Amino acid sequence: MNKTVKITINGEIFEQSVPIRLLLSDFIREVAGLTGTHISCTYEGVCGACTVQLDGAAVKSCLMLATQADGHEVTTVEGLAKDGKLSPLQQAFNDHHALQCGFCTPGILMNMDEFLKKHPNPSDDEIRTGLIGNLCRCTGYAHIVDAVRDAAKRTR
Amino acid sequence: MTTKTGTNWVGAKYNRKEDHRLLTGKGRYLADLSMPGALHLVFVRSEQAHARIKKIDVSAAKKLPGVVTVLTGEDIKNKIKPMPQPVVQPALVAKYPRHWPLAVGKVKFHGEPIAVVVARDKYVAEDAAELIQAEYDPLPYIGDPEKALADKSNRVHEEWDDNIIFEMTFTGGADDASRAKNDAEVERIFKSADVVVRQRFRTHRCGMTPMETRGALMSWDDSDGLIAHVTTQRPHIDRLALSDILDIPAEKVRVIAPRDQGGGFGVKAPFYREPILVAYLARELKRPIRWVESRQEHLMAVSQERDQIHDIEIAASKDGKLLAMRNRGIADCGDGCEGVYWGFLMPFLGSVELPNAYDWPIGDVKLKVAVTNKSALSPARAFGELPTRFAMERAIDLVAKKCGMEPADFRRKNLVAHLPHTSITGEYFDSGDFLKVWDNLMAQVDLKGFRREQEAARKQGRYLGIGFGLGVELSGVASELLVPMESQPGYGAATVRVDPRAKVIVFEGDAPQGQGHETTVAQAVAGAFGIHPSDIVVTTGDTGTTPFGSGTIGARAGSYFISAAVMACAELKQKISRFMIHDLKIENATQDDFEFADGEIVYKKNSNIRKTFREMVERIIMAPINMPAGESGGLEHTAFFEAAKPMICFNADCAKVEVDIRTGQFKILNWTTSEDVGQIINPQIVEGQMQGAVIQGLSNTLFEQFIYDENGQQLTADFENYKLANAADVPDIKVTHAPTPCPYTPLGSRGIGEGRPSSVPGTITNAVCDALSPFGIEIAELPLRPNQIWQLIQNAKKKAAD
Repeated sequence: MNKTVKITINGEIFEQSVPIRLLLSDFIREVAGLTGTHISCTYEGVCGACTVQLDGAAVKSCLMLATQADGHEVTTVEGLAKDGKLSPLQQAFNDHHALQCGFCTPGILMNMDEFLKKHPNPSDDEIRTGLIGNLCRCTGYAHIVDAVRDAAKRTR
Repeated sequence: MTTKTGTNWVGAKYNRKEDHRLLTGKGRYLADLSMPGALHLVFVRSEQAHARIKKIDVSAAKKLPGVVTVLTGEDIKNKIKPMPQPVVQPALVAKYPRHWPLAVGKVKFHGEPIAVVVARDKYVAEDAAELIQAEYDPLPYIGDPEKALADKSNRVHEEWDDNIIFEMTFTGGADDASRAKNDAEVERIFKSADVVVRQRFRTHRCGMTPMETRGALMSWDDSDGLIAHVTTQRPHIDRLALSDILDIPAEKVRVIAPRDQGGGFGVKAPFYREPILVAYLARELKRPIRWVESRQEHLMAVSQERDQIHDIEIAASKDGKLLAMRNRGIADCGDGCEGVYWGFLMPFLGSVELPNAYDWPIGDVKLKVAVTNKSALSPARAFGELPTRFAMERAIDLVAKKCGMEPADFRRKNLVAHLPHTSITGEYFDSGDFLKVWDNLMAQVDLKGFRREQEAARKQGRYLGIGFGLGVELSGVASELLVPMESQPGYGAATVRVDPRAKVIVFEGDAPQGQGHETTVAQAVAGAFGIHPSDIVVTTGDTGTTPFGSGTIGARAGSYFISAAVMACAELKQKISRFMIHDLKIENATQDDFEFADGEIVYKKNSNIRKTFREMVERIIMAPINMPAGESGGLEHTAFFEAAKPMICFNADCAKVEVDIRTGQFKILNWTTSEDVGQIINPQIVEGQMQGAVIQGLSNTLFEQFIYDENGQQLTADFENYKLANAADVPDIKVTHAPTPCPYTPLGSRGIGEGRPSSVPGTITNAVCDALSPFGIEIAELPLRPNQIWQLIQNAKKKAAD
């Protein structure tokens, strides 16, 4: 069974008839062709690699159906840099070597982008707690914490 | 960030070149690749651990609209050669189980592929997979490795006469007589030694599952052959293996590891059965086939390692000198059906590395590896040695305590003081300074002050502890080890191609998965040519364009690959210098008289004589006339690097903890490391490797555990149940350095990172046991969990009360 949905992703409108069981993560990757949103735990909602923002709130896109995003605005990692310029958070990740394989990184950026709006001056403990929903296998997290702390400073 | 162009790129903090694409969602991982008309492949996996297959009913699945084909083991067993094949079979004496990509006759573990569905849509493929009904006759589950070793009637592989895949003696020479003499001498020392410790250590089944699962996207063309995009650490080996198994001429197989891979840590190093089937079906159907593994499949079928038992005995003198070691290792390698590694190579190397950096006069080290009805062990960073390091580092603490010494002092007293050194198991340590690394660690740690603090805290009912551990690790894997171990060469290879616009392309046959090769090799090449790292691009992992390499394994990049690239640069610099001498008519100059810096080539004896790098390379590539005698145009060179003997790196750890004896929970107060990574190429990347490795070691030790129930059902096939450390679970690590440049690599660099997690479980467990020393608690079994610690405290209290 199909349903027509209208989802705005990074400012671009995608109006499309899709199976009602299609996951939002698959809509983003396969319909919109935005492959920066990754799948790691395969639809358990544990790893956080598929995190996007739905109307500005960080959500795990593998736990939503595309039809549930009908009429909403989605921001993915491709929407963070403006005019080819990395956001302060992205730049801090580069400066602090906060990524290695980069597979978890888009989800972490989308989560921390929202987190910093709510916590403009976070402590390290707050950052670490804020990262619980994102698994990273390479970095051991320390450089991610450094980057988020520094991005907060640059943004303030 | 350093921005100056010059020859000092090696050692500079330089932001990674890979990051921009990865931070903006433009990375290209396997699942991001597409081919028009690609079909989706899904595996159906066994629900039973050990059973005969009575029937697999695929009729309903085949009828589902959108399904293209469904196959079982019976359909392919006469069409695909079974494993093993020589290219993925070690030269070690062992039994190599015959198997096909899909189970034939019986299933041997929960999660073994029994059928495959190919459909136009991945949702339809999943629907069809659910319609497949398998009927089984259950067989007794073989799950305990010790029982399996003794059991000849219930066998995992019925064509064998027992369940022993591999056994080996690592000490005492090559023949039975010398070994018997050695073992008798060890026994004599144990009988007369002042101090003897005997303990069994067990490390649970866990591994290094990467964030990106496995996958493949392959296409077939009758004239060009197979193009295989595969998540892999060793594309050149995969190419040969696919060619041999599917009888495709090697020149018609091109394997391409995606430019971006979401971690590997060893898990993507084997030649697995699934890609064989993807390739087979791409050829049969003549349509592109795509397989993206689910996390559940991944945790059921691969990424399980460790799982070793060690009965270790150590003899020492009263004054704390090690005299002898005896170890009987047992490993549970699952069904062993896995190309290159066969489940037993990890425990094999673990036993080789058991002596660690200690100076043993003599030892008796033996290992037996059992097959069971579990997934085959697949490699994980700290390859095979995480269990042996845990056993050894714990055992050293036990011996030290029995000698009445500080474990830290005991370690220093028994470290190998002079290199080179060959261990009692035959491992060669080329260079470095273990004492320097150790003393640097101790300088960071105020041990005496800590002991005072610990005593004061105990008076207040608080339990602080300090623990140490160390590890001598492989810096690359020499042919001397890799040829017998994996039937593969150890050399590193790099092609360096200078283009007429003075940009440089480096071709690497290995396939990185996040280690930052694009950045570190660019720094090394920029340093060599005196140009900027942004002028260098790197192509990796494509067998169609890159020189042969055995893969990104064993910390090969910093030791072997980058050394090959630097050698290739040196060759090209000499050629450019010869053209300089010729073109500028410099008298009495040699090709070594030129400095490449800041984009220029300067004659060292007269710095007025110089040319820009760009004009010289353009002249040699684009204007090959009027050349020095015997020269040709063009600037490209492939170099192969291998040191004459194997190389190592070394590290040591110290952890301080506080244990809450009411709950058994503990907090890591701090963690300090000391490293010898030789000449650092990029300090930030080294730091990232160390942070990540220590946290992986902690995650293995404290959280991760694969659990099979009494029927062999795997209960931990998702991230809810197989828990990885998250950011709130773990501390920041203080990484310090005490380097000794490696004399055998052109930059003095050492390969680092692979073995690094191995000293972690011993360190943290030693710290917890030190905190609990008033209770006399000595933990010998992992994982290290609060409930286990709480139980040990209760037992100790009860014993004290009795």
